[in-house]
Amino acid sequence: MQFGIFTVGDVTPDPTTGRTPSERERIKAMVAIALKAEEVGLDVFATGEHHNPPFVPSSPTTMLGYIAARTQNLVLSTSTTLITTNDPVKIAEDFAMLQHLADGRVDLMMGRGNTGPVYPWFGKDIREGIDLAVENYALLRRLWREDVVDWEGKFRTPLQGFTSTPRPLDGVAPFVWHGSIRSPEIAEQAAYYGDGFFHNNIFWPMGHTRRMIELYRNRYAHYGHGTPEQAIVGLGGQVFMRRNSQDAVREFRPYFDNAPVYGHGPSLEEFTAQTPLTVGSPQQVIERTLSFREYAGDYQRQLFLMDHAGLPLKTVLEQLDLLGEEVVPVLREEFAKNRPAQVPDAPDHRSLVAAKNAQAARGTDTKEESTV
Amino acid sequence: MKLVVVSAGLSVPSSTRLLADRLAAAVVRRADAEVDVQVIEVRDLAVEIAHHLTNGFPGGALAAAQDAVTGADGLIVVTPVFSASYSGLFKSFFDVLDKDALTGKPVLIAATGGTARHSLVLDHALRPLFSYLKAVVVPTGVYAASEDWGAEGLAERIERAGQELASLMPKAERRTEPGVVPFAEQLAALKP
Repeated sequence: MQFGIFTVGDVTPDPTTGRTPSERERIKAMVAIALKAEEVGLDVFATGEHHNPPFVPSSPTTMLGYIAARTQNLVLSTSTTLITTNDPVKIAEDFAMLQHLADGRVDLMMGRGNTGPVYPWFGKDIREGIDLAVENYALLRRLWREDVVDWEGKFRTPLQGFTSTPRPLDGVAPFVWHGSIRSPEIAEQAAYYGDGFFHNNIFWPMGHTRRMIELYRNRYAHYGHGTPEQAIVGLGGQVFMRRNSQDAVREFRPYFDNAPVYGHGPSLEEFTAQTPLTVGSPQQVIERTLSFREYAGDYQRQLFLMDHAGLPLKTVLEQLDLLGEEVVPVLREEFAKNRPAQVPDAPDHRSLVAAKNAQAARGTDTKEESTV
Repeated sequence: MKLVVVSAGLSVPSSTRLLADRLAAAVVRRADAEVDVQVIEVRDLAVEIAHHLTNGFPGGALAAAQDAVTGADGLIVVTPVFSASYSGLFKSFFDVLDKDALTGKPVLIAATGGTARHSLVLDHALRPLFSYLKAVVVPTGVYAASEDWGAEGLAERIERAGQELASLMPKAERRTEPGVVPFAEQLAALKP
């Protein structure tokens, strides 16, 4: 099982000091957080993609390429890559380039984005969000899997004799997750292709997350990729820790009360009861995270949101020390217990290359080629 | 048959609730089949409605109320008139309801106010709102000003509106959960 962090990349004033970091400070802080994730033994760093203030990460592969050069093991990912407003041709090229630079330590998560004006800024219509996600991703898959593509669709200029360069590393496309909170169509899309499904549950009640994951698992089996238990599931999480849980609550409360997403709404206590947010000791975080398995089944990837609501970098780095040193080692051990042998790990570059070679040795056509 | 009554009165006792109960009783009297009545007091959900607006998801009591409204065969909605329209809390309850929850559902609209001068609020505020939500709004809306409680005519309007809602309820389409569209169909629909 993989553990990591995902960041939205928001520039938010620290409510305890009133100070707002500059864009440069925030971008450098995101890099420092990624390097810390590797240092404390986490597996994955994922960055958001946004094209409006107060967010800075508009160019994820630039940032991930820089982090790739300064890390050895960390898998670099996104949370999410906008499959609706980005040109799938540019996504194919950018992430294949990143694969080569990062020696395959790359996957990505598709998302639609939720800010209305971003669509027209990129010449698109939010009402066509699902259709854009469906068509653009179908093209993206072909660009990574076929050397020469002839294509015509509803949303993009046709392609005749187009080759996306560089070709994916070792002829293997990066593994793809599909992130969605509310749309069954996206769970269906992930299931159809046998891709991963990430439910960003951090602002949502558990019952909702359970229904979306059940749908994905059942449809994954329906499309013949394996049993429902073998589907590739990722979940979000959101925590703030101090050794003493009262200290955690006291320190985090002003950040919670003023956070852009949930501030000035329900109390910290109400929100932690209804959603996965956990504020307390490392032991409480361990117990809460282990409980996700009760409604999501055995899953493959757990990403935590750690740098939000205006928390200063120093605090975030302390949080990552606690996460990497005290929480994740216990989670690895506990999640491994009673995990059925047939539940796979999340695919990575090495396993995808091995699967491709095994396929070639068997000399059979892949299901993917017949269904695209 | 399931009748759900959404009452947005704020005081206790409330004339809005009084009107709601009388309308519900009229529907029960006029219906051919047995009617199970559930009343939702929006006041009790005020904080959860506000949290839903900021959080994007309902708390437990609000989620139960939304399920009841979605599953109803008929709906009676009653609001006090505030500043020449429905109350903000009444509107917010419907703002956080799934946009398809009322599609095809028979709805009886009603309002209360201190003066008869606001009676057209039914037709310039409530009827467009429920038309937008694709509900089937019965022709008779019932407005009760303070003076109506001592005058002739209110009881007849209540009875007529109750009859109209009762006659539509058995024919109402029950909303079914939309199934997943198989992915191949989604993809094929985009082929040029």
